[in-house]
Amino acid sequence: MASQLAREWFGIQQFPAATQSKLHELLGKLKQENVNTLTILVMGKGGVGKSSTVNSILGERVAAVSAFQSEGLRPMMCSRTRAGFTLNIIDTPGLVEGGYVNEQALEIIKRFLLNKTIDVLLYVDRLDAYRVDSLDRQVIKAITDTFGKRIWRRALIVLTHAQLSPPDGLNYDDFFAKRSEALLKYIHLGAHFKKQELQESVTPVVLVENSGRCKTNDNGEKILPDGTAWIPNLVEVITVVIANGSKPITVDQKLIDGPNPNARGKLFIPLILAFQYFFIVKPIQKVIKQDIAKESKPLWELRDLGLANRKF
Amino acid sequence: MAFCAQRLPLGAQIPLSCSARDRRSASAAASAPIPSHHLKCVLSSAKTPSSKSPTNWTRKKTLASFFSSALASAAGGGFLLHFSTPVPPPGNTGGSGGGGGGWGWGGFGGGEGGGFWSQIFSPLAAIAREEDPMGGGGPEWDSHGLPANIVVQLSKLSGFKRYKISEILFFDRRHGTAVAGTEDSFFEMVSLHPGGVYTKAQLQKELENLASCGMFEKVDLEGKTKPDGTLALTVSFTESTWQSADAFRCINVGLMPQTKQMDMDTDMTDREKLEYFRKQEKDYRRRIDRSRPCLLPMPVHREVLEMLREHGRVSARLLQRIRDRVQKWYHDEGYACAQVVNFGNLNTKEVVCEVVEGDVTQLAIQFQDKLGNVCEGNTQLAVVRRELPKQLRPGHVFNIEAGKQALRNINSLALFSNIEVNPRPDEKNEGGIIVEIKLRELEQQSAEASIQPGGTVSFEHRNIKGLNRSMVGSVTSSNLLNPQDDLSFKLEYVHPYVDGVYNPRNRTFRASCFNSRKLSPVFTGGPGVDEVPPVWIDRVGFKANITEAFTRQSKFTYGLVMEEITTRDETSSICTHGARALPIGGLSMDGPPTTLSGTGIDRMAFAQANITRDNTKFVNGAVVGERDVFQLDQGLGIGSKFPFFNRHQLTLTRFVQLKQVEEAAGKPPPPVLVLHGHYGGCVGDLPSYDAFTLGGPYSVRGYSMGELGACRNILELAAELRIPVRNTHIYAFAEHGNDLGSSKDVKGNPTEFFRRAGHGSSYGVGVKLGLVRAEYAVDHTAGEIQLILVNNCNHSVWPATLGNAGHPTPEDGGFHLDAFEETFFDVPPG
Repeated sequence: MASQLAREWFGIQQFPAATQSKLHELLGKLKQENVNTLTILVMGKGGVGKSSTVNSILGERVAAVSAFQSEGLRPMMCSRTRAGFTLNIIDTPGLVEGGYVNEQALEIIKRFLLNKTIDVLLYVDRLDAYRVDSLDRQVIKAITDTFGKRIWRRALIVLTHAQLSPPDGLNYDDFFAKRSEALLKYIHLGAHFKKQELQESVTPVVLVENSGRCKTNDNGEKILPDGTAWIPNLVEVITVVIANGSKPITVDQKLIDGPNPNARGKLFIPLILAFQYFFIVKPIQKVIKQDIAKESKPLWELRDLGLANRKF
Repeated sequence: MAFCAQRLPLGAQIPLSCSARDRRSASAAASAPIPSHHLKCVLSSAKTPSSKSPTNWTRKKTLASFFSSALASAAGGGFLLHFSTPVPPPGNTGGSGGGGGGWGWGGFGGGEGGGFWSQIFSPLAAIAREEDPMGGGGPEWDSHGLPANIVVQLSKLSGFKRYKISEILFFDRRHGTAVAGTEDSFFEMVSLHPGGVYTKAQLQKELENLASCGMFEKVDLEGKTKPDGTLALTVSFTESTWQSADAFRCINVGLMPQTKQMDMDTDMTDREKLEYFRKQEKDYRRRIDRSRPCLLPMPVHREVLEMLREHGRVSARLLQRIRDRVQKWYHDEGYACAQVVNFGNLNTKEVVCEVVEGDVTQLAIQFQDKLGNVCEGNTQLAVVRRELPKQLRPGHVFNIEAGKQALRNINSLALFSNIEVNPRPDEKNEGGIIVEIKLRELEQQSAEASIQPGGTVSFEHRNIKGLNRSMVGSVTSSNLLNPQDDLSFKLEYVHPYVDGVYNPRNRTFRASCFNSRKLSPVFTGGPGVDEVPPVWIDRVGFKANITEAFTRQSKFTYGLVMEEITTRDETSSICTHGARALPIGGLSMDGPPTTLSGTGIDRMAFAQANITRDNTKFVNGAVVGERDVFQLDQGLGIGSKFPFFNRHQLTLTRFVQLKQVEEAAGKPPPPVLVLHGHYGGCVGDLPSYDAFTLGGPYSVRGYSMGELGACRNILELAAELRIPVRNTHIYAFAEHGNDLGSSKDVKGNPTEFFRRAGHGSSYGVGVKLGLVRAEYAVDHTAGEIQLILVNNCNHSVWPATLGNAGHPTPEDGGFHLDAFEETFFDVPPG
């Protein structure tokens, strides 16, 4: 875990010159806005390419990547500084285990994030997964439950494996649009966005291709099928998200524990008790009295009380 | 939600058949055979004297005295309300049924007037009496020794012979016709039977009886010889008649001295006669004025008027019919001691019917020992007295329903093994009734111990100070030599009449020490989750509360509970968190915390209140009415982590009768729609063991206990339609349970941790087979089908459920259901 010492960002030099200049420009912009540190949290299901994306962004092989096995069992933070600017990227283990959200992993992540501030969340999924299912929803719900709804205003959806040929004659753009739409819908469901909030914040979707066989343009930048260089694009979108006015999320003990349901409304208990006494117990007592009054007495009892008047 | 299951064993509406002792054992879920009770209610009463007792009819000019040596006997009636609890034969169901008892009318005859009610207690004796009212009779008889077919006057018969009467004929001289039909009221006047053997003296006495009974102006007995040596008896008569009347009055002459008939001198002058009649009339008027109004209602009154109008002249037979009608009403309404004693004011426009209604003059309570001797009782009389309906007190008219109610109420005290409510005539007060209540007390102390390696030791001290206070304790362990594993104990003190035994307010103080061990339904897996390691909740504590009973069913309880809760895993070691099996094997021990303190042991004190409003009643065996329960646990901030909470539950149940039915024994019950709603919620500290659980036979049927979730707020809705079929009913139900999104508000979110849905619905059908319920429930989410069998009887059943070809046998062919247990098993799909 390299969280303590922030190393100089050498990886940036690996990037093609065009990418480097673009990144410098963006970082400079951030610095102008008095942002000196940028903490990016990368989350997602297992095997979607979280670690690879981290590696790609940093231009270094910081996270061990394995094609067939999940490697990251613990979260890991890489800090890099460049020209007085610190970039923290937190890579996390996959959130899914055995068809369910792995609460244990989530628990570890929470504990790891204690006392850190998250500027941006990268929710990573694959572009070439055709379907979204309830598992996605559970993962999104777990993230929402952990960090609160507002995390999604600081989030990007990152779709990896961008370099694919869409199935059966679908247009690439159509496919991408459909895929991102489906995913966004689930995010809105999982995060319980209200309609109004929905309109306010549109979580941007960014494409990523980590593969070494990724096409490059003339400048040597890795590009997407539509020709944009994705690393500068990603960073640019990140800066846009940061600039959208929402607050970064500080993870403290309270956030980790979640709201304590046992403490909620405790102060009102005396009031509730009074309400129950006057509006439930008392009325029931009254109804019982009515019952007693209304109770159909047998005829012989009525006669004995002199109520019959010889009518029966 | 098995509405009836919670209720049936209590049989609250039929306390007659279900004594308090039953109830106690049922709640304790006793292992021993539950004592059941035989119920015997003997109610014998003088059958309407119209049948046998000859009412004396004396004809006077204005006053026909219509009574009755039978007055004392009849008014005194003899009947006995009886309740006894003998040692139960094993396997007898005392639980809910009206099983072994009923109100029987043991009829008897007799007409010798007072003095025989002592025999009434035995219906057999009464029957024996009926057999030979005249004491004659034997197989042997003498032939009349005369030629056949001649008419013999009674006086001509031999005094030494025993004649056999083969036939009795009535001949109405006024109309010159023979009266036919055995239903005619004349037949019951005559105590002779065709086929009986009588002496001349007996026949003469019979004639005297007939002549003096007031029905006949003139009556004669004639014999006609038959060829076979027997006699055919002809009763030729002229019926008494009076002038027609168009008014009717019924007066209550109970406790009034009978009018004395002044003899009329035959040699009175006309003037003296007139004077005499006038005086008599005046006396009678005064008597009417002094009499009290009677209970006879207008409809019957009008009916009688109709009879008078139709008939024209008032005849003896008409009066008899009026008497029967009036008495029938009284007896139908439960005034078993009521008796028409006299018709007065005859030969005027108004017929006055004098009734002795059976006024209670004294209420006597006495105790009996085992041998039936009167003894001093330990129970304070006030305890018994407050259970008696006031209609049994002096000054009220005795009604058998009041007697029954007294019987039921006293029985519910569970203090007596034998209860008799017995009205008997007051000798000092003519027409008065003394209500006698005889009680045999139960043993005050009892101790029981069954000691094998495992067993139960229990003791009981009942009726302390004669005020029905009791102290009951029991200790049970499956291994008394090493009891720390599963020792369960209970010690309870009950102190009724907190406000004093004379205060009508009925509050009972209860204090108990208890412990219990239950499997927590919070730590249960949802569908598709492997076996979840069970968590046991052990509670040890002390509880004190006061219950105020408003009615037999509605009550308000409030008190204090102090308890220590320990959560344990399978190995009985204390556990702090729920666990879940991981796919890789092994257990994830980071589940929801089991206790508030997090240590596995919680101690807390809280206040508890429960108000129940219940006006349900049985309509031909079906429950109909409304039941509302509000329960509140209020934490006081005393205990581990200073728990402060308000946990509340409101349950509303409506039993809606869908069709009006006639209410009578043996009539079919109405179809009933049951609507049930249950809301529960908790504000403040909520340990997992106090969370509400969804699913299970009392929540959403078709799921196992807690299968749907554990939550902070709960809403359950259910509807059930019960349709009577023959002696039982079938029912269909639909139920829904919802956590209202509050599962996440339980610490550790056990609903999600064990992958449960948090809500669910089910529907199904069921049938009640005697005391066993079988139902078939389909749950909505998984489409899983469950067959549920609930045993509501107080002994175990062992139904074998066998599959047939191609279908597997569920539960390995059979299972065993202990009393009040239930089982459910999943039906394999297909």
